[in-house]
Formats: sequence, structure tokens, C-alpha cells
Amino acid sequence: MNNQEKKEKKVINFKSCFDVIGPVMIGPSSSHTAGAISIGIVANKLFQTQPKKVIVKYYESFAETHKGHGTDYAIVSGILGFATDDSRVPNALEIAKEAGIDVEFIEMEGDSPVNHANTACVNLKDGDREIHVTGISVGGGTIEVKYIELDGFVIEPQGTLPILITITEDETVKSRLEAKLKENNIQVNTITRYQNGNKFLFQLDLNSQPSKVLREELLNLDSDSKIILL
Amino acid sequence: MYFSIEEFISEAEKTGKSLSDLMIEQEMKQTQMSFEEVWEIMDYNLKTMEEAVKRSSEGDGVFSPTGLTGGDAVKLKNYRAKKRTLSGDDMLKGVQSALGTNEVNAAMGVICATPTAGASGTLPGVLFTIKDTLELTREQMIRFLFTSGLFGMVVANNAMIAGAMGGCQAEVGSASAMAAASAVEAAGGTPRQSSEAFGMALGNLLGLVCDPVAGLVEIPCVKRNAIGAGNALIAADMALAGIDNKIPADEVVEAMRKVGINLPRELRETGLGGIAGTPEGKAMKQRIFGD
Repeated sequence: MNNQEKKEKKVINFKSCFDVIGPVMIGPSSSHTAGAISIGIVANKLFQTQPKKVIVKYYESFAETHKGHGTDYAIVSGILGFATDDSRVPNALEIAKEAGIDVEFIEMEGDSPVNHANTACVNLKDGDREIHVTGISVGGGTIEVKYIELDGFVIEPQGTLPILITITEDETVKSRLEAKLKENNIQVNTITRYQNGNKFLFQLDLNSQPSKVLREELLNLDSDSKIILL
Repeated sequence: MYFSIEEFISEAEKTGKSLSDLMIEQEMKQTQMSFEEVWEIMDYNLKTMEEAVKRSSEGDGVFSPTGLTGGDAVKLKNYRAKKRTLSGDDMLKGVQSALGTNEVNAAMGVICATPTAGASGTLPGVLFTIKDTLELTREQMIRFLFTSGLFGMVVANNAMIAGAMGGCQAEVGSASAMAAASAVEAAGGTPRQSSEAFGMALGNLLGLVCDPVAGLVEIPCVKRNAIGAGNALIAADMALAGIDNKIPADEVVEAMRKVGINLPRELRETGLGGIAGTPEGKAMKQRIFGD
């Protein structure tokens, strides 16, 4: 039986009608431009400050068509924290250069390491600090995050956003986050725990995007822990 | 959440609720937002669409930085003014909005992806022509978009909406089917007729390849949206006439998914095959990007 014929496990990536009617964005491609911005935004959230060096590796359709689709300025827009409809999006490469950020794009040959036509692997660096994130663009500006290297942890999420990550030495943070989500009727699909020395990383896969107010509350829940909502 | 078209059509038939209401209810539940908040976002999306269409038909029109596309919405506007068209003015009004929106997209203007940027002209094409034909209120126009979203989510989660994954049938094909279903609701058709229109529209565009010249969302994307809009209007009219599609809408979505994964890589947004692979298509790529 042809491998492709096998129905893959159904993944619910599109949880809101605004994933298919929206985003409001600056062209030309929702997968290759808006999706690339979203991958950049994930990298920005994980790194938390402006990097000195950006390396983006493109695979398959991204490698073939990134120039035509403006994927380069899009991904850098996300890294700079611009939203999809920000008028600075088309000028992001110049803006990054002026800010002293060195940006490099590499077109990879062969198949995507995570088996998807629209794959970008992003590496942000500043001195010794470094993160890696691999995202795939599944259409209409929606993405999945497949691989993250952060603070000595390597995680391979199932992909579907939103994902709440906390890196902490205090394991009770997880239950406090859970309680806060429950109070607000946000379903947690799975929780994954990683340990590295005395540090823990908890990955909470959420069923829906928290409201703006709740988002702030979650991110500020514990000042000694790193809390990131992708 | 509704995972199939049959689920929400049965729900609408059972409860007497409109499809747009079912979408709004699901959205409120899913995001914990109020009715007003959800409505406001869709209102903003509609405004974005209106502004793009308006911009495309003023002066000489809009042009992309590459010069490959632009100005066609204005050409069509001038042609319509002569009042001697072959497919009728309502149809061409839709085509004008569809072309115009994608011209704005190619020109790096602001658009609303429906479901994608490459297919962003199809829904406005249908919506802005039936707005005049049926004298739709703003509320009905916003509801049109919610209904489109209800169908679109099922396609996106069960098949695909990215050209790189499933070809243009997943983009313009999905958009056309979403628009056809919503047009039926706006015209007073039943939820079942919406689903028939959806199935016909998607079925008509099965196999549509994604082959952007030079990897740009310009040729043939802009004109394909015109066809998506026209196809949606025809499918909606057929459904309103009582014609059914014979094959259930969910099975058409599954067929689209299977066709999509079986399309060769060259025909899935790599910019290598189809129109992109023609001698002129390759020459354009060479002129724009060099080697």
C-alpha cells in the first residue's frame, strides 16, 4: 500500500473561523508569507530578545519559492515581532540590517526533516544564547511547531498551537497554570514533562487560544519561571 | 466543534438555526469571546475586503512590483460600462472584485485571506456581486463570512487549504465551495442546499493544480479567482434550482484530499510545473530572479 494513501491521524489545526476567514495580512501568500510571519513570531517568543544572528533553513516548497513569496522578509518580520498586517512587513530585511542583525537564508535540498512541504528551521543567536525552532505552514496563515531547542531542552511537540511552555525549578507552577486554565474553561489536551538537572520544562497543549486578559495572567503567573505561550 | 459538514447541516435542520449562527456559537465557545467581539472581528475582515476591492478599481488600478499582474479589474470595469457582455453584468461584477482583490494581494496590499491569500478574491467576488443582486444588509454580509468559515474549517481540518499540500483545488477550489454555500444561505436557500452547492463547486474544481509562475502568487492565481467566483455563483444557482450533487459534500472533501496528496510535487506550489513550467513562465522567472 502506498504510504501516502494511509490516512494520517486527524490533526485539528484550525480551531477558529478566523483561521480560515483571515488573517488580515500583507501579501502575497498566506502559507509562505503570513505562515512564515507566524513561524518568526514563535522564534521571537522563544528567544524573548532581539538576536544578533538569524539563520533560516528552507525545505521543499519553501526552498523553491521563498523569494517569490516574500518568505524572507516575512519570517524576519515575525522575528522582529511584527504582526501580519503591519505595514513594515515588506521592509523587514532592511529594518533588521539597520538594527545590526545578521540574517542568512539557506535553501536545503532533499526532504523536510519533519515531512512537510512548507518547512522552515529557524536558529536565533546572541553570543552563547541560542534557540532552534522548526515550523511548518499548513495553510491560511496557520502553522505547526514540530521541534524546539531551548535552554538545554529539546522538545518535539505534536505541533498544533496554542502551546503553553514553562521552564521552572518549581514544579508547582504547572498545577497553578492548569488551575488558571481550568477556571477559564480552556481545555488542556496533553501535558508533557521534561527534566534537565534541577530544571523542568512543562509543555501544555491547549485546545483553544486564551483571551487577551487570560494570556497576560498566564504569562505573569510566576516571575521566577519562564512562561511562553505559542 | 463540527468535524463534518453533515454534522452541522443536520444540526441546522434539527434546530432551525442558520449556519452562520452555528458558526458564531462554536466560535464563542471555542475562544471564550462574546458575540460582540466575534462579530467585530468579522466586521473588520469584511472592511478589509471592501477596501481592497475599492482600491483595485480606482484610477488605472493596482500593479504588482514585478509588473506581471495588475490593472485587469479596471479593464473589466471599463468593459462592463459598455453594457455588452457575454456572461452578464452580475457575473462580471463578481469577477471584477475577485481579480481586484488578488491584484491588491500581488501588489503587497492588505487583504483578508479566505481561506488563503492566493484565494482571497473568490469570496469577495461572490459576496460583492450578490450584495447588489440580493440587496444584502451589512449583517447578512457578515453572516455570509461566518457561514463560509463553517465550511472552510471542515475542509482545512479534514483535507487541506494550502496549495503546497493539495494544489489550487485546496485554495480556489475550497474558497469557491465556501462561497457557493454561503451564497445559497444569503439567497434564502436551505442548509441542505448550501451543502449541495458546496459539493458541486468543489467537485467542479477537483484536480486544479498549483503552478505559480516564478513562485509568485500572480500568474495564474489572479485569474483563477475569477473562475472560482464564477463557479461558485453557478453552483449556488444550481442548488437553489433544486439540483443536488448526488455525492455528499463530505465525500467530495475527502476526494479532494486524496487527489491533493496524489498530485505530483511539481504541481503543488513549487513553481516548477503547469503554467509555471511553460517556456514563457520559465522566461519570466529568469527575468525576475536571474539564475
